[in-house]
Amino acid sequence: MPGSLAFYHPTTLEDAIGLLGEHGDEAKVVAGATALTILMRQRLVAPSALVSLGSIPGLDRIEEVDGSLRIGAMVRHRDVELSQIVRARIPVLAETFGKVANVRVRNAATVGGVLAESDYASDPPAVFVALDAEVEVRGPNGERTIPARDFFVAFYETALEPDEIVTGIVVPVPAAGSGTSYHKFVTRSSEDRPCVGVAALVRLAPDGSAADLRVAVGAAAETPQRFPDYEALGRGHVLSDDIVGRVADAYAGAIDTLDDMRGSAWYRTEMVRVWVRRAIESARDAAASGPAAH
Amino acid sequence: MRYLVTLQVNRTSYPVELEVGRTLLSVLRGELGLTGSKEGCDDSECGACMVLIDGRPVNSCSYLALQAAGRQITTVEGLASGTKLHPLQQAFLEHGAVQCGFCTPGMLISATALLAANPDPTEDEIRAGLSGNLCRCTGYVGIVAAVRSAAAELANAD
Ligand SMILES: Cc1cc2nc3c(=O)[nH]c(=O)nc-3n(C[C@H](O)[C@H](O)[C@H](O)COP(=O)(O)OP(=O)(O)OC[C@H]3O[C@@H](n4cnc5c(N)ncnc54)[C@H](O)[C@@H]3O)c2cc1C
Ligand code: FES
Ligand code: FES
Repeated sequence: MPGSLAFYHPTTLEDAIGLLGEHGDEAKVVAGATALTILMRQRLVAPSALVSLGSIPGLDRIEEVDGSLRIGAMVRHRDVELSQIVRARIPVLAETFGKVANVRVRNAATVGGVLAESDYASDPPAVFVALDAEVEVRGPNGERTIPARDFFVAFYETALEPDEIVTGIVVPVPAAGSGTSYHKFVTRSSEDRPCVGVAALVRLAPDGSAADLRVAVGAAAETPQRFPDYEALGRGHVLSDDIVGRVADAYAGAIDTLDDMRGSAWYRTEMVRVWVRRAIESARDAAASGPAAH
Repeated sequence: MRYLVTLQVNRTSYPVELEVGRTLLSVLRGELGLTGSKEGCDDSECGACMVLIDGRPVNSCSYLALQAAGRQITTVEGLASGTKLHPLQQAFLEHGAVQCGFCTPGMLISATALLAANPDPTEDEIRAGLSGNLCRCTGYVGIVAAVRSAAAELANAD
C-alpha cells in the first residue's frame, strides 16, 4: 500500500464531503473497511486518501419516521440483525442482515458500506429493492434520495457521484396484511455469499388474492433484478401454484444470469426459477398467518 | 503518511506511529509483539486473527489499525489473569480442543464473545457462534465440548 496515503477522520459530513471534493477520485470513504482492506491488499484500489466516517456523530441511528425505518449509513450489520425495532417492524431486514457472512464481519460491516460497494453477490440489496427503500445521499449540493432500484447501476457501480456519501436508507414498513421473505441460496459453505438470493413481499386482500406482489432477485446478475410486468402476473390473483409458477418462469426467462464459481449461468437460471417460487410462497404464507388487512 | 496513535490493547496503552494502510493484525503482531492473534488467510475468511473491539469480535486482518484508535482491544493474551488460565483456555486443554493450535486464539476470542452474549448456549448455538472460525485439525467436536464445559464452569463460579 502506497506510503503517501493520508487518513482523515472528519467530524462533520460537510468536512467529509469537502475532503472527497478536494481529493477527487483518489479518495475513498472508509466505513467498516471489511471490503476496502481486501480491495487495497489485492491492489484493486489504490487511493491516496482515506476518509473515515467513524467520527461523524449521528450516522449510526435506527429510527422510525412516518411509517418507515431510517437506518443510518454507519449502522453495523449486526446492529440491524439485533435491533428490536427492525425485528418488530421489518423482520425480513433483520433476518437478511443476520445471514451475511459471519458475526465477525457483521460486527464491522456497515449498511452504507454494503450499499456503496454494490457487490452483485451481497444479500441486503435485493431486500432493499423489494421493499422500495430509498437511499439517502449527501454531496456538495445537499441531499437527495435515490430509489434502491436505481441506486445499483452495475458491477461495483452505483448512482453515487464521487463526492457523495451515503447517509442512510429509508425502508417503508410493509402495509398491514403483508408477508415478506428472503431466501439465500448458497452453493459452497453456509456462510458464503449467495449464488442466488430472492426477496419477496406479498400483501393479501381480504378475499385472499394478492393486492401486492414484489420480487427482487439478487446475486444472479450485475444488480438486483425486479420486473414489475411479471409481478403483475400475480397481482389481483390468488397465488396458486400455477400463478406462482408463471411468475417464477417469467423471472427465470428474463434474467441474463451470470457465471461464477458459485454457479453457471444455466444453473442460476434454474435456481432463480426454484427460489422465486419458494420466496413468493413463503411471503404468501407469512401474509396469510399475520394480522389481516383492513 | 505516518500517524501517531495510541492503541488500547488488553488494558495497556501502546503509542505507535503507523502508515495508513496497516491492518490491526499486522500492528498487533509487529510493533506490539502480541503474536497470539494469527494470520491464517489475511482475507477475512478463517477467523484466526480475531480480536474483540469494544467487546465485539472482528477480524483484525481486515480492520485498519487507525480505525481502532480510542477503542478497547482484547486479544487472546488478555484472557488469562497472570498465570491463571481463563476457564475457556483450561477447558480447551482438557478437552483436546487444541491440536496444531493455529486456530485456537481466534476460537478462544470467538467463544469469549459468545459466552458474554449467551452464558448458557446450546450445542447448536455454540456451532453457530463459532461458525467462520476454521479449524483444520480437531474436527470441532472437542472445541464445542470445551465451550460447553467452560460455560458450566463460569456459571458455577458466579
Ligand atoms: C469474508 C466475507 C464474507 C462476506 N459475505 C457476505 C455475504 O454473505 N453477504 C453479503 O451481503 N455480504 C457479504 N460480505 C460483504 C460485506 O457485507 C461487505 O464487505 C460490507 O458490506 C462492506 O461494508 P463496510 O462498512 O465494511 O464497507 P467498507 O469496506 O468500509 O467500504 C466498501 C466500499 O463502500 C464505500 N463506502 C462505504 N461506506 C460509504 C458511505 N457511507 N458512502 C459512500 N461510500 C461508502 C467505500 O469507499 C468502499 O468503496 C462479506 C465480506 C467478507 C469480508
Ligand atoms: S487471517 Fe483474518 S480471517 Fe483469516
Ligand atoms: S487446531 Fe489446528 S487448525 Fe485448529
